[in-house]
Amino acid sequence: MNNKSLITRPHSSDAPEIQISKKAPDASTTALSLAGLLTLASAGCGGGGGDSQSTNVNPSSSTASSVAPQPLTKTQAAGFLLQAQFTATDDEISSVISSGYDAWLTSQFNKTIDQTGAQWLTTSGHTTPKNDGNYFNPVFGDWMAWNQLLTGTGQVRKRLALALSEFFVVSLNPIDGFWPPMLIANYWDLLNTKAFDNFRNLLEDISLNPAMGFFLNTKGNLKEDIASGRVPDENYAREIMQLFTIGLYELNLDGTLKTNAQGNPIETYVQSDITNLARVFTGYNWDYSKVTQQYGFESYPVPSPEFTSGRMAFDSRKHSNLAVNFLGTNIPENTPGAEALRIALDTLFNHANTGPFFAKQMIQRLVTSNPSPAYVARVATVFNNNGSGVRGDLKAVWRAILTDTEARTLHNNNIAGKLREPIVRLTQIARTFNVSSTNGKWEIYDLSNADTGLGQAPLRSPSVFNFFRPGYVPPNTTIAAQGLLAPEFQLHNETSTAGYINFVTFFIKSGYSDVKLNLSAIESLATDAKALVDWLNLHLTANQLSSATKNLIQQSLEANPLTSASSTNAKYDRLYAAILLVAASPEYLIQK
Amino acid sequence: MHINKLNEMTRRAFLKRASTLSMMGIGAPLALNLAGIGEAAAFEANDYKALVCVFLFGGNDHANTLIPFDTTNYDLYSTIRGGGAGRTAGGIALGHDSLAATALTTLTPQTLTNNIQYALSPELKSLATLFNSGKAAVQLNIGPLLTPLTLAQYNSPDRVRYPLPPKLFSHNDQQSIWQALNSEGATRGWGGYMGDLALSSNNISTLTCISASGNAVFLAGNNALQYQISPSGAIPIWAAKGSAFNSSSVSNALKQLITQSSAHLWENELATVTKRSMDLEESVNAALNPVNLSTSFDRDSKKNSLADQLKVVARLISARDVLGAKRQVFFVSLGGFDTHDGLNENHPRLLAQVDEAISAFYQATVELGVSEKVTSFTASDFGRTLASNGDGSDHGWGGHHFVVGGAVNGGQFYGTAPQISLNSDDQVGQGRLLPSTSVDQLAATLASWFGANTSEINSILPNVSRFASSNLGFMK
Repeated sequence: MNNKSLITRPHSSDAPEIQISKKAPDASTTALSLAGLLTLASAGCGGGGGDSQSTNVNPSSSTASSVAPQPLTKTQAAGFLLQAQFTATDDEISSVISSGYDAWLTSQFNKTIDQTGAQWLTTSGHTTPKNDGNYFNPVFGDWMAWNQLLTGTGQVRKRLALALSEFFVVSLNPIDGFWPPMLIANYWDLLNTKAFDNFRNLLEDISLNPAMGFFLNTKGNLKEDIASGRVPDENYAREIMQLFTIGLYELNLDGTLKTNAQGNPIETYVQSDITNLARVFTGYNWDYSKVTQQYGFESYPVPSPEFTSGRMAFDSRKHSNLAVNFLGTNIPENTPGAEALRIALDTLFNHANTGPFFAKQMIQRLVTSNPSPAYVARVATVFNNNGSGVRGDLKAVWRAILTDTEARTLHNNNIAGKLREPIVRLTQIARTFNVSSTNGKWEIYDLSNADTGLGQAPLRSPSVFNFFRPGYVPPNTTIAAQGLLAPEFQLHNETSTAGYINFVTFFIKSGYSDVKLNLSAIESLATDAKALVDWLNLHLTANQLSSATKNLIQQSLEANPLTSASSTNAKYDRLYAAILLVAASPEYLIQK
Repeated sequence: MHINKLNEMTRRAFLKRASTLSMMGIGAPLALNLAGIGEAAAFEANDYKALVCVFLFGGNDHANTLIPFDTTNYDLYSTIRGGGAGRTAGGIALGHDSLAATALTTLTPQTLTNNIQYALSPELKSLATLFNSGKAAVQLNIGPLLTPLTLAQYNSPDRVRYPLPPKLFSHNDQQSIWQALNSEGATRGWGGYMGDLALSSNNISTLTCISASGNAVFLAGNNALQYQISPSGAIPIWAAKGSAFNSSSVSNALKQLITQSSAHLWENELATVTKRSMDLEESVNAALNPVNLSTSFDRDSKKNSLADQLKVVARLISARDVLGAKRQVFFVSLGGFDTHDGLNENHPRLLAQVDEAISAFYQATVELGVSEKVTSFTASDFGRTLASNGDGSDHGWGGHHFVVGGAVNGGQFYGTAPQISLNSDDQVGQGRLLPSTSVDQLAATLASWFGANTSEINSILPNVSRFASSNLGFMK
């Protein structure tokens, strides 16, 4: 794949190009557009890049060879950026236009991490025991998470790590004992570090990560004890199959369910598979070998935080030596622990479900709630083989997701796209307006409350099942009536919709404790409401706002007339109002 | 004021989905048995009744919730759970002495399996008092079932005659099955179906099914919606209430933008919920604000989110006449019950919250004079293994649950007590209970009390007729 195989659409200009029909949904046009989407999707190349092609669904229209590649428009570049990362600034848009999607992604894949979460906690003094209780107080984990999301370069890596954190879920909520902030930081850093690595490596690292060990109980997991009837903890064995690799039912390459002769779905595993696999995850515990004990803060010594990073320690005496039979794989009795783990993880990694299972959920996180089976199949194919015989190449998977024909042409369809997650909304708004901290603390607390916060907070999922399920269907909706999924709607209700708008209203003007926005980029547009709305439309929504919405916003802003002589307060009120109106608009909130 | 009455579009949308599902050959979920739902008979309620589902997310460890107290069965429990010598606590077993204050005494003598007698967890003191005074009942070994099953039938390869609920032991799916009798992706729950029957009895139909927790499929019916309330009441969108950044025009534009319909399904649904939120906020808060309960929901100054949720439910019930409500279904929840590790530390802390919240809620209904009109019941993903994994227990199936209220035939156990064993024929391994009562039967019993007639119950719960009884008898 190279940067010449760009997906382009014919555009005369960057002028408003998305006209959202306000007439009622019509079954026939919905069906037609769906069919069009599928036609297009199946026309894409297997690698997910696709040929240069127009979005015209008429198969007799111009073919790839007859259309010269056209430069990307700002709208296209912004739309791509808002899927691949959090922001679409002028510089970023220019960069994508000049290099094309592929080369731009390559440049982002090559960026190194400028500061890890653990490094930030350390330099901020949160890893030396202090009287503020930093060695047991989880809130520094929240500050760390927001600092990581809101600052630093390498946004693509962070956006994808956030998506991974909603697949390989570890939550700060239940983590207690010493150094919860460092435990969660080291988990985040692992996802961030390995976001461009291989799925298999990532799977092994998360399995042995200390925070995951605590969260899903591999930490301290003991072999069976016949005398007392004690059996290994099954939690990790169950969830690594159900949630991290293969899922509950056998899948086709395109993510659809396989069925048996009776037409029923086929279960991937049964209880005995879990009971067997659980033996593999025995014998692990936090590694205290490098820890030093510090005294003077409590009546008990406080360990230094080295145990929170790297891998858990393995104690063969506590590891089950029983044979393991699961998913048709046999691990003989007395197989050494590391070898048993290798075989088990290879089995899960190489299972035919893992590609489509992971591919579909990552597409849902980044692009659209209801990808076509063909789109899933294209990405799963790349998961299975990156073109060079490598399975699980995450860079190839991200590239396949983000450059796919379907990802690049979504906005033509009235069931396409997804609800932007609250975390992503806030991060986008904050970064777009040059967020900074007045004192370096990044004192943003757990925002999980839907009434006073965002209803979602990074690394704070209520359970390993994430904030929302990939199969969530909002009841009593047309979405449900059409048999479609809308995962993020699990967070949307009468409370959270109000809570978000209130939060954003407050945040854009007052920030959140020491965390403040800087609107200098749009200050000069205060006296030109149309230009202001156009600026916000491009940078926040990739020009998704309809002309009706843009006009409504513009007119409401102009109701309080401004001139260059107007007060700074009046000008800023207009800026705040404009951002609020865009950020609260359904045409922004639904990312297409 | 009739906001959100049965609406033709929703009904048609549902029928369309139903036919789509049929064409896809998907086994008929309970919904499809509700032929002509829009015209389904709805009861006309003149009195007030409310049903409250208290969901314990994560799978409650039933074996340390309801513990054998007679020494014979206690000793079996203690051996399996690693108890200490002299019936002291050990492993994940509670000590026998610690159970004396919460031993349960039935109002009339009852002989259970192997003459088992029970105590509640030491943390459930108030619940034990409610049981012993006849205001709470225990439903033994209940869980999702499609048909009654013996162990041999469970092990039978004949899944046509002996179907199993899908995705057993999986959290998200069993949560969904408890609430909606189908796995994840289900869009209609049995609380919602009861709400459907009650919609026309309520002045504001949207306030029929209310969650004080997150979105819950339990509350979604064919027409009944899950309305979300926060513990502090309905949340106003301040910027849409007349002025935003010193501009009424901006405020008006905001109101229009966030509530207007759209051809894009996602945008339209987003706005629909926001509009509902705004339409009801002022009337709900106006009704709630004057309510001043003297019952305390905070006996120990510790954070208790379940108590906060049940408090707003009690306040809504207090405001029932102002809001014109005759029949309501509520959903509240507490998470953290997935006690694979740290059962001894975490489970008592959680049960203490359950005890505080449920007993305070019952007291509030006494204060409001509606204790016989309000019934709460517990539910959870599943019970857990009786076997220990060292310091916790694993995912199971059947578990024990509570039904609380003045209309409950309390001070009694219902259902069949399981043996305290890892190899008896009432469990499927490691002490995972094979349920002897189905969730459908629990739902049918509650629906009957709520006012649903037999044909309505059979349409809401099409599988209930496969079981011995559709009324378990725990309601007066």
